[in-house]
Amino acid sequence: MGKPTGFLENTRQLPAKEAVENRLQHYGEFVQQYSAADLNKQASRCMDCGIPFCHNGCPLGNIIPEFNDAVYRGKFDEAYEILASTNNFPEFTGRICPAPCESACVLGINQPPVAIEEIERHIVEIAFERGYVQAKQHIVRTGKKVAVVGSGPAGLAAAAQLNSAGHSVTVFERDDAPGGLLRYGIPDFKLEKSVVDRRIRLMEEEGIVFRCNAEVGKNVPVGDLLREFHAIVLAGGSTIPRDLTVPGRELDGVHFAMDFLKQQNKRVGGKSTLINPYQPLSTDIVATGKHVVVIGGGDTGSDCVGTSNRQGAASVTQLELMPTPPMERTPNMPWPTYPMVYKTTTSHEEGCERQFAILTKAFLGDENGKLRALQVVDIQWTGAKDGRPASFAEVPGSEREIPCELALLAMGFLYPQKEGMLDQLGVETTGVGNVRASERTYQTTISKVFAAGDMRRGQSLVVWAISEGRECARKVDEYLMGSSLLETKDAALQFTI
Amino acid sequence: MTSLYLTEADELQIKMAQGAKPGEGGQLPGHKVDEWIGKVRHSTPGVGLISPPPHHDIYSIEDLAQLIFDLKNANRSARINVKLVSKAGVGTIAAGVAKAKADVILISGHDGGTGASPMSSIRHAGLPWELGLAETHQTLVKNKLRSRVTVQADGQMKTGRDIAIAALLGAEEWGVATAALVVEGCILMRKCHLNTCPVGVATQDPELRKRFNGDPEHVVNFFKFLTEELREIMADLGFRTIEEMVGQAEFLEVKEDNLANNFKLKGLDLSPILYREPADSSVGLYKQEEQDHGLAGVLDWKLLAAAQPALEAKTPVVAEFPVINTDRTIGAILSNEITKKYRGEGLPDGTIHFKFKGTAGQSFGAFNTCGVTLELEGGANDYFGKGLSGARLVVYPDKTATFTPEENSIIGNVAFYGATGGEAFIRGVAGERFCVRNSGVTVVVEGIGDHGCEYMTGGRAVILGGTGRNFGAGMSGGIAYVWDVAGDFAQNCNPEMIDLDPLGDEDADELRSLVQQHLELTGSSVAKFVLSDFESEVGRFVKVFPRDYKKALAGKAAKVAAE
Repeated sequence: MGKPTGFLENTRQLPAKEAVENRLQHYGEFVQQYSAADLNKQASRCMDCGIPFCHNGCPLGNIIPEFNDAVYRGKFDEAYEILASTNNFPEFTGRICPAPCESACVLGINQPPVAIEEIERHIVEIAFERGYVQAKQHIVRTGKKVAVVGSGPAGLAAAAQLNSAGHSVTVFERDDAPGGLLRYGIPDFKLEKSVVDRRIRLMEEEGIVFRCNAEVGKNVPVGDLLREFHAIVLAGGSTIPRDLTVPGRELDGVHFAMDFLKQQNKRVGGKSTLINPYQPLSTDIVATGKHVVVIGGGDTGSDCVGTSNRQGAASVTQLELMPTPPMERTPNMPWPTYPMVYKTTTSHEEGCERQFAILTKAFLGDENGKLRALQVVDIQWTGAKDGRPASFAEVPGSEREIPCELALLAMGFLYPQKEGMLDQLGVETTGVGNVRASERTYQTTISKVFAAGDMRRGQSLVVWAISEGRECARKVDEYLMGSSLLETKDAALQFTI
Repeated sequence: MTSLYLTEADELQIKMAQGAKPGEGGQLPGHKVDEWIGKVRHSTPGVGLISPPPHHDIYSIEDLAQLIFDLKNANRSARINVKLVSKAGVGTIAAGVAKAKADVILISGHDGGTGASPMSSIRHAGLPWELGLAETHQTLVKNKLRSRVTVQADGQMKTGRDIAIAALLGAEEWGVATAALVVEGCILMRKCHLNTCPVGVATQDPELRKRFNGDPEHVVNFFKFLTEELREIMADLGFRTIEEMVGQAEFLEVKEDNLANNFKLKGLDLSPILYREPADSSVGLYKQEEQDHGLAGVLDWKLLAAAQPALEAKTPVVAEFPVINTDRTIGAILSNEITKKYRGEGLPDGTIHFKFKGTAGQSFGAFNTCGVTLELEGGANDYFGKGLSGARLVVYPDKTATFTPEENSIIGNVAFYGATGGEAFIRGVAGERFCVRNSGVTVVVEGIGDHGCEYMTGGRAVILGGTGRNFGAGMSGGIAYVWDVAGDFAQNCNPEMIDLDPLGDEDADELRSLVQQHLELTGSSVAKFVLSDFESEVGRFVKVFPRDYKKALAGKAAKVAAE
């Protein structure tokens, strides 16, 4: 460890952000870089714990104290090597991860935790800057062909790992460009698409083939895949959004968050917002000049808030069914678990009214069938024994209208799309509708077909998707070759003789 | 150990070895030893503490028996506990320890405690406590010794199940440390040695200690659950008390499946652990009788009777007693009684003056406290002044003896081992390991054997004669003045931690007054010679000045100057 007393001398400090009024004028990233001295200070706060809970907090098992130490010593090549050994895409997680590692940070017991996520982002950006990130040359090919369906973080991670094991990987993407939600879900101001492009280029250089506008089960027959590839990885994500079936749902102005966000990303990317191969939209969804209500208090909802503000909405309101979360950890969410505490995202900083414990009763329209207001009611939660909200009742007399011309539904995703690929393959699904494959094998009910990411585990974080892709790749490699040297959480650098 | 520490204790443990770090024990690195810890431990602040040290007073089971006897004298109401590492053959050792009259034997397993172990110790960790405990219990039962001692086990006991197994294998008491520590908030940072514990458990840093948020209630709760689980297991097995349960190894069963399914455990034969030593009903399986420590006939009872006026009213008493070499640990019971009444202060100097004639047994003056003066005409055995705690010891040869005192041994080996205060004047030569771990005694002697002043942390040693080799090894405090007549002293030193300096004016004054006292109390001809021409003889003295001590004194001086 570099500095035993670093955590006593320095406190947590995040890099500066562009002022709100400035950053609202564009869609670019607005979090600045640390100075070299500040980065060193932040890295020095890591305590090199005897039991580093961050390893376990991170779904990828990132070897955090070691790369913090390397950063402290100024060895960025070493830091990148450590980071890249467990995480294929630190440039994504360094930007958009909710950082469960920081929640598990031992320093977080009684102090602000180490700024692990920012350190991660700096490592990978400095590595790119200095040319440490290079496509792997001279991969010995095994002659096995693997198809990866879906190019989100799970698919990309699986593809990168399988390719490095020597298999010839083809990634099928139904959109016009690879990346999945990284490209058409997360707004540019949180993750600039040049970052995605940079990674895709590297992967192509390493020999991975990306086939875009290729929807398996529609314009790519499932039979072709089963015939042509030795193994198939399903990483199509959990794409069916949760709907709000209340009166007025059909009104003009009620949209799913993802449709809205995707259009904006396309607009920023200079592409047509209406051409959409699998989900045609007839109109542009824009928030300019409108009273926007975002229903759902999660990260997607937050992205809608930021995007609406940038489009120039008249007002932005975010509704959440659950009560206001506590500001600090409660006995029900002790360290090192991920705490459900009140969180103010950068999009919230940019202006938005947040209301909690609100139930939407109906969408109200005008005579032209356009949305005019939301009818909402306050609710009262009653706690279960453990203190968590268990059931709710409407507060009598609190019914009211919220003026609204654009309502965005950001209430999470239910399960993957069955129609098409999954139906045609005939793989079994779980009770909730995800593809059935255990965490031990990642294998579906068809032996050569594997599943990873949200398609298997249900909606989750990017970091979990990358983890799933990596773990699944090892299982695919074992299935194809009988054994595998790919690193996973269980088998890091373990060589079988 | 001072007389007060010993008197205050309910139990005194001789830590021969801990399972996680046999031979070394807990370490407190120098930078964590602040003023306060230095004071409590009678050591030099800033110098690392290693406990237990290698026991320089214990080289055989007889030595251990002597220490047990010493401690029992110093506090009759405390249990004497001997901690042993779980290892092959520990049963034999334990049988010896039981015969050496220990009240409690602790079998320490390899687990736990490793957070504060240096790497070198971890590499030599002991065995699981189950192995050592089973062997110990079986051996003690076989030798009909089990009913004389309490057997404890420790080494990462965390659950009621652990305790139940330990009881069935033969332990009626158990140590739980790591688990309780974790309950208080320890997060196994393994930074105990760096003083940077972020939860304030293992640190002296006041800022970090503020971050400690442990709650005694949690510990209480933990032990409640622990005992509740134990009680449930006992009910399952049909035991009403722990006594019924101790050593009933046949209630343990091997999970054959676990052994068969694990490649490492395949072929493992656990039957020696589960073996039950046959014993008829006359053989006790748990502690049922007290050890006979042999205190009934010791000389100290006579001393105590003679000292009653002093104890009751601080009236000075003078008395004379003959001694022979079976009179061991003279003055310890007396000092224990003084300490009980007058605490660490003891009695005013010179209140009790006892004179002895003859050859004293081992541990003459051990743990003797302030106000006691023991004058011995004759000679003494090993451990002279062990743990001396404020008393004055004077020894000179029989007045009728014809030999030259400064050329002959008058006291044995390991004199003033771990002494913390007082003074002593020895008209003659001492044996090996003189003043080892002395932390406060001022002593004048006329020659010593090898390893003099090893690990000394305080006090003064004036040596008016030759020394053996390895002088001053690991010496971190105190000062030794050595009369280097032959001019070969430097060759006999271990220079790792000490400087050999000439004497300054203050040193010379101190030396002169000590030699003067020596002359007055013992009639030493060496002292007389030195004083006859002190101005020139002082040039032949060497000041052994430990570098750590020098640094600490310089720091203190700088602090005073700054104020």
